[in-house]
Amino acid sequence: MLAVAVRIACVLGAVGATPLAAQRDSTPRDSAPRGIAIDARMAEDLGLAVGARVRISAKPGEAGDSATIAAIYERKADPAEVARREYRVRLHLDHLQQLMELDDRVDRFAVGTRDGQSIDSALARINHVAFGFRAHKSRDVAVQSSRTFRVVERFHFAIGIITVVASAVFLLCLLLLSVEERKRDIAALRLMGISRATVVRAIVIEAAIVSLIGSVIGAGIGWIASVIVNAHFQELYRTPLVFALLTPQIFAFATGLSLVLGIGSGAAAGWRLVKSSPLSLMGR
Amino acid sequence: MMAWATLRRHPARTTLAVLGIAVAAALLLDMVMLATGMSESFRSLLLTRGYQLRVSPKGTLPFDSEATIDGAGAIVRALRANPDIKAVSPTLGATLTIDGSRIPSAFTLGLERDVQGDYTLEAGSDITRADSGTTVPLPRIVASQTFLTRAGYVVGDTITISSGLNAQLRTAARSSRVVISGMGRFIYVPGETPVMALDLALLRQLLGPSYRDRMSLAMAESRRGDSASVEAVRSWIATTQPRVTAISTETAIRQVEERLSYFRQLAFVLGAISLGIGFLLVATLVTLSVNERRGEIAVLRAIGTQRLGVLHQVFLEGLLLTSAGIVGGLALGLVTAQWLNGILRDFPGLPSAFDFFVWSPNAGWRALALLLTSGTLAGLLPAWRAASIPIARALREKAIG
Repeated sequence: MLAVAVRIACVLGAVGATPLAAQRDSTPRDSAPRGIAIDARMAEDLGLAVGARVRISAKPGEAGDSATIAAIYERKADPAEVARREYRVRLHLDHLQQLMELDDRVDRFAVGTRDGQSIDSALARINHVAFGFRAHKSRDVAVQSSRTFRVVERFHFAIGIITVVASAVFLLCLLLLSVEERKRDIAALRLMGISRATVVRAIVIEAAIVSLIGSVIGAGIGWIASVIVNAHFQELYRTPLVFALLTPQIFAFATGLSLVLGIGSGAAAGWRLVKSSPLSLMGR
Repeated sequence: MMAWATLRRHPARTTLAVLGIAVAAALLLDMVMLATGMSESFRSLLLTRGYQLRVSPKGTLPFDSEATIDGAGAIVRALRANPDIKAVSPTLGATLTIDGSRIPSAFTLGLERDVQGDYTLEAGSDITRADSGTTVPLPRIVASQTFLTRAGYVVGDTITISSGLNAQLRTAARSSRVVISGMGRFIYVPGETPVMALDLALLRQLLGPSYRDRMSLAMAESRRGDSASVEAVRSWIATTQPRVTAISTETAIRQVEERLSYFRQLAFVLGAISLGIGFLLVATLVTLSVNERRGEIAVLRAIGTQRLGVLHQVFLEGLLLTSAGIVGGLALGLVTAQWLNGILRDFPGLPSAFDFFVWSPNAGWRALALLLTSGTLAGLLPAWRAASIPIARALREKAIG
């Protein structure tokens, strides 16, 4: 179906978009109403079903045209539109042109090149003869329209850096303190003849185990949080879009980072302690 | 002072703790700035020129669609006749083509010069009024910096703007030669969008007969600025003009907040986490510090220090740690807010003057006070435990080692 998407805001003001019995009577019986497709959110909010008759108009207050709901479609999970609460209606191109009194106009059209034809040369040839319009590569349009996600991605990355720094400091602090708290035990081990390297290794292994267990617990909390976040935002924005996702890669990255930080902190804390003499650690 | 001495005795531990609290405080401050900043920034943006009401086509937000209001003249006259309305600024938005330019077309605003609230003139002279007589040979327009840069023009250049292009005949239905007389900063247009402003009557003429009496939006200023008066004017417009939607600044802010609610909720979640981290950090540090000094505290109690005195000292330790962290966090938070704001300002479609992170003294100080209270309270339990140490047992443990 050759169709264009219109913002319902343009037409809904006057449409009312409700199946009106009175208007059904006024529609001439010899001209069958054209079919339109509406999005599921609109159908749900306005109580519309396939087969329902609505009136649509381009301008508020105008009688407009009678149409039949021919299809209800699910909108794509598009992050760029997730916060926009507008409805979408799809009409046949000529229907919309007639409704908008746009004669032979379109906002844009897509061009497919034959196999083996250079897109660049096609683009250059179109733009050479273009008058009042310009051709762009689909890839360039996609890059431009994905700016929102790239900005959000950079923002998340920046927030991620801050939280990683905060977690690193927190982890270092905790390990330093937990090791220092046991300085008497470590002093005893040293007095028994256990080497510095063995003591540090034991502390590092302990720190690694703590980091690993912490990561697994953290991943569990993260997974529960992602379920809550997705449920909340999917309900809020009425979209199937997944807002938070815990992938194996993310888990591996978080665990790896946590291990590196844990081992580093454990080594630093352990080494700091074994440098002192066992007797001073005992407080003697 | 014992609290100060304890902190100085372990410089590495204290530095790390202060650093941790500083990062938590910075994150909390940033998130509070993010949560409150969008509304503040948007409010100041909307009220830049004093217009508290926006009148747009029924069911739409200003410039959210290509819909326009027909019978604009009658609506504007009716609004101007209301004694409670001080000023009305009608605006028409359209895309015009620019002949022989590096950019084929640009977003154009048709405005009434004396009441327009869409741009501030930064260089050159303002747009021509349509009724200014015949002394000016060519109409004058004002363009944005982006327009001049991308189209390759300078103030003073003459250009041809057109509309109603016919791609087959390669002709424009209507065109006009205009002089770029000035450069303006357009308040509501995204920085990356090339935009020009010209007289409303000229734009209507260029767009043809169907636009003779149309506007995309009108801004209205209530004579009295209080919210009750603005709401009264808004409701009068809603009642008397059934083909339009009147939106007050508060409603517009609510709608933008709804669209950007993701950031507000993210700010709330991360703010709560940073508060929790600050609390945990202080609680852990003070608890371990107290455990380490059980013998010392027992000696103090044995030589006559009151339970309240010990409680006070340990409590003070948490307070000192949190205060030092907050001071560092304030500076760190303001720097990171600038960084994060720089990232989010690239968000497409937002006016260049829109900020996500805005320092709001009330919210900022409240958040830091909350962290200070939380950090200080975190020291309360270990302080109580320290004050309740059984003296004899603690001394024996200390003596045995």
